[in-house]
Amino acid sequence: MTTTHTLIIGIGNRYRGDDAFGCLVIDELTGRLPSGVHSIEHDGEPAALMDCWQGAQKVVLIDAVSSGAQAGKVFHFDLAQQSLPEQFSLYSTHAFGVPQAIELARALKKLPPEIVFIGVEGECFDAGEALSTPLLKVKEAVIAEVLNSLPQKNSSHA
Amino acid sequence: MSDSQDGTRTIKVDYLARVEGEGAMYLRIRDQVLEDVKLKIFEPPRFFEALLRGRDFCEAPDITSRICGICPVAYQMSAIHAMEDLCGVRVEGALRELRRLFYCGEWISSHTLHIYMLHAPDFLGYPSAVEMAKDHPEAVERGLALKKVGNDIMNLVGGREIHPVNAKVGGFYRAPTRSELAALREKLLHARELALETVEWTGTLDFPKFQQDYTFVALRHGNEYPMNEGRIVSNRGLNIPVSAYDDHFEEQHVDYTNALHCVMKPEGSSYHVGPMARYALNFDQLPSDIQDAAKAAGLGPVCTNPFQSMSVRAVEVLYAVDEALRIIDAYAPPEESSIIVEPKAGTGYAATEAPRGLLFHRYTLDDEGIIKDANIVPPTSQNQKMIEDDLRSFVSTCLDKTDDEIQYLSEQAIRNYDPCISCATHFLKLEIDRG
Repeated sequence: MTTTHTLIIGIGNRYRGDDAFGCLVIDELTGRLPSGVHSIEHDGEPAALMDCWQGAQKVVLIDAVSSGAQAGKVFHFDLAQQSLPEQFSLYSTHAFGVPQAIELARALKKLPPEIVFIGVEGECFDAGEALSTPLLKVKEAVIAEVLNSLPQKNSSHA
Repeated sequence: MSDSQDGTRTIKVDYLARVEGEGAMYLRIRDQVLEDVKLKIFEPPRFFEALLRGRDFCEAPDITSRICGICPVAYQMSAIHAMEDLCGVRVEGALRELRRLFYCGEWISSHTLHIYMLHAPDFLGYPSAVEMAKDHPEAVERGLALKKVGNDIMNLVGGREIHPVNAKVGGFYRAPTRSELAALREKLLHARELALETVEWTGTLDFPKFQQDYTFVALRHGNEYPMNEGRIVSNRGLNIPVSAYDDHFEEQHVDYTNALHCVMKPEGSSYHVGPMARYALNFDQLPSDIQDAAKAAGLGPVCTNPFQSMSVRAVEVLYAVDEALRIIDAYAPPEESSIIVEPKAGTGYAATEAPRGLLFHRYTLDDEGIIKDANIVPPTSQNQKMIEDDLRSFVSTCLDKTDDEIQYLSEQAIRNYDPCISCATHFLKLEIDRG
């Protein structure tokens, strides 16, 4: 990945209830993105995550979080300026998840110039469950927010 | 936590860091004597063996791969080999080599994650890889680059990096082309340099001086460093076919942990599986240049210091990169990506070498190929009692230290095993009780 201007990354697992949120947002963005903007679904594996945003000017990360807040609450973080709270990612591999990937990239000076995180508090992360009602209610608003933040040009999808 | 009013100290860690899954440690020290050690795995039981019952035999590889996001290839390979054992099928030639290549990818990826992200901070004095990366960026970047090559192999051969989908009973759904594999060659040549640097780098680290008289258990194949097959051997004379596993090993329920403790029969003794066991029992199977690299890093043919397991993992990464190159250079695609396997009633057995050690599977099928019974024994279950034995010996050498120091050193001793609690669930909080 060398020349993408903007990359939207939906992080999650389609088979774990609300953890699918980022993936489902990416589904909805398909065919609606201006040129120079690409979207991918990602499982959150840190090394691969850091690799996939190399060369991007701007990255938007969309993920479900579990912080104890009310389900459906939307969080915004400017990761170029601030860290992601570690409690946002308890479900990680060997305690090495998205917050650690962000901080490792920051330490290695491999963060994109612009990188924002949109997190939505999940309610249920059980295997095989569908998206919960609170997340269904905020999904369109998150999609609209992402689209409105982009320059409006011709459509493309990676 | 400590209470020394009556000469007793309790040290407990409620959630162990830099391990996979949820576990705790409890130590009770009275009058400067270590009285009790418990490794508690409180991650809930996952009942995989139960949910396999009633499923088709071809579903076992994909179901069991979900046990672990770090070593799904191991679960797939043990399940596949057990089913093929049961059905009287042997997969040879290019398909066998592709399976070995697939396993190389997992060893590279899993070992590199542990070496650089989880274990190295212990020996360089950092709380995490993130803190370490600020002072040692070149090391962390080397680790990330190596891990990526392992991921690339798993991606190509397995269809994706985590929970791959391309392996099946009888072979693969699709075999890669020669040109697809050749595209990995340049990356692997660079990875070989990085892997050799990793072995050299681990040799410069200052490991605690601690030795254990281990009973090592691993596969031994005879013609190759073991991954997918071999006999189960030990350094105490055990040499059995995999089908005799249940005659020599036993899972025991222990009330303070959700993981079963595995012991050797008849004494109920602990044993050690994993990189150190594989290395000790198969050193002669390593190419001479890799043996030389191991020696240069301070390793003899047998390593009995668990803290030095980091160097052994680095040697195995170097071997896996070498082996992947060998397989790719010799690869001629198979005529068919899999062979047909017809089910039959009976019981099948397999053990393969997961990154953390011997992974045993046993399945019983009916004549329609429906799974009637399943038993899965992961490496961390087998090492659990051994980890407690290590803690018992190691903590006894440092009782004069503060509780915080004991806690730190104890967590290191546990991380030596790269324990995968999710796999074992049948794992870490630390609790030291000094009374």
